[in-house]
Amino acid sequence: MTDTSAVVSVTALSKRFGSVTAVDSVDFEVRENTIYGLLGRNGAGKTTLMQLLTGQDFASSGSINVFGASPVENPDVLSQICFIKESQKYPDEFRAKHVFKSAPWFFTNWDAAFAEELIEEFNVPLNRPIKKLSRGQLSAVGVIVGLASRAPLTFFDEPYLGLDAVARQIFYDRLLADYSEHPRTVILSTHLIDEVSNLLEHVLVIDQGRIIIDEEADALRGSATTVAGTRAAVERFTAGRTLLHSESIGGLASVTIQGQLSAFERADAADSGLELLPVSLQQLIVRSTNTSTHDFQASA
Amino acid sequence: MTRIWNVVRLHLVNRMAYVTLPWIILGSAFLITIAIWMILRSVGVTSGFDGSASSPQFSGALLSILIYLLVAAVMAINLTFPFALGFSVTRREFYLGTALTFGLVSAANAVVLTVLASIEQATNGWGLNGRLFTVPWGGGGTPIEHWFGFFALQLLFSFAGAAIATIYMRWRINGMVVFWVVGGAALVGLFALIAYTNSWAAIGSWMTANGTTGMAAWSLLVSALAGLAGYAMLRRATPKN
Repeated sequence: MTDTSAVVSVTALSKRFGSVTAVDSVDFEVRENTIYGLLGRNGAGKTTLMQLLTGQDFASSGSINVFGASPVENPDVLSQICFIKESQKYPDEFRAKHVFKSAPWFFTNWDAAFAEELIEEFNVPLNRPIKKLSRGQLSAVGVIVGLASRAPLTFFDEPYLGLDAVARQIFYDRLLADYSEHPRTVILSTHLIDEVSNLLEHVLVIDQGRIIIDEEADALRGSATTVAGTRAAVERFTAGRTLLHSESIGGLASVTIQGQLSAFERADAADSGLELLPVSLQQLIVRSTNTSTHDFQASA
Repeated sequence: MTRIWNVVRLHLVNRMAYVTLPWIILGSAFLITIAIWMILRSVGVTSGFDGSASSPQFSGALLSILIYLLVAAVMAINLTFPFALGFSVTRREFYLGTALTFGLVSAANAVVLTVLASIEQATNGWGLNGRLFTVPWGGGGTPIEHWFGFFALQLLFSFAGAAIATIYMRWRINGMVVFWVVGGAALVGLFALIAYTNSWAAIGSWMTANGTTGMAAWSLLVSALAGLAGYAMLRRATPKN
């Protein structure tokens, strides 16, 4: 699969730390002007992958192409990237005002007016030492830099730790609004899958260092169904299908199956007294990264 | 080049780190020293280290700003380096910008220190026969010698701090353990070598022959080596959470 509009293209990429393989022979591409979700459990390799793509860490093997070249120590590539991470360190004695004052020197697309609006909306105290900011305020500083920098390729690694629900909604709304006016590629890693599921256009799921799902978000949303009803009926209906999850209580069962259902199958389910429930992106990912369910990985 | 200069601006955007704090620290050390000299004088102690009545009082307060610069250099690698990478700076740009910052800060501080050294000489040691800024020259020296010596000393402390912090950034705690163990062993070995070959006198006369300015010139070589080592190590260093 070759796509001329790919801004990131990764081939057989691996990163090992001693005996631990954090990223395990990964291949994928990232299209231009698309919002990607990089999803996975803690320790799945999300941050390591982003550090590799931004040249902050060095690959053990494989190749990384960002804007047509390796990002490592490459000013032409890096000047188009903004990487916001949850654990970002700041220089000693820095205040938020120092961050916003220096950011435009490094991000050529920086929009100072937009940054100002965001500072007000997120209520960031400019004059307080960064060390004294709350977890949420600290995250807001990163989110503002990530949005106002308008870098052609922006990474958000768990950007909103400690942000309250209102502030998170501001982030989603502002990201979407600004993205439609200034299209760019955004890669967002998060645990709050349901919250961002409407935002995402493409989903990459990483589990134990491997990409197990690389799919359009729309396709993914309809790709599984939960069937609930009497155990006998459910078992008959789901026979021969790929099961993602199943649970039963007494004579009742609920089974999540992979794949689209045809109109005929839906009618059949209704006739058998079965209930068909949509599966949210979050449930789908929980089912597929649950380490006890390896059949899905094998067939994905 | 613009991006390297932007790293210099990033180091200096917060005036606290390189402008305000070092002078607050040196200023306090200076005032404390003056107070001690005045107390000594008021209780009738007028002699300095050799016990003669005309000998001046010497103070090591100048070390405070040098130690501060070493700590600031450690912080520059530990905190500003990961921050700058988040601002999409390359390691090369960061290191060159940081080295340039060390040079500019040392040069500017050296001008102020030189003025203070001249005042010290003109006022016979702040009217108390004290020596604080002219200690490396035993109270003597010309302004040009002073400037060069202050400049070289600050560079030495800055690049030493940066190199040590870079060992940590590159190899974490293992690097620190190896560095201090190997470094300590090397020092003991050097001490043994000098002691067994009876070279203390030779080293002493070599230093005397070089004078303060000559030694400052030699220290530039050490700073350059620390700088090159720091650069080589940082090129493969990774900021970790």
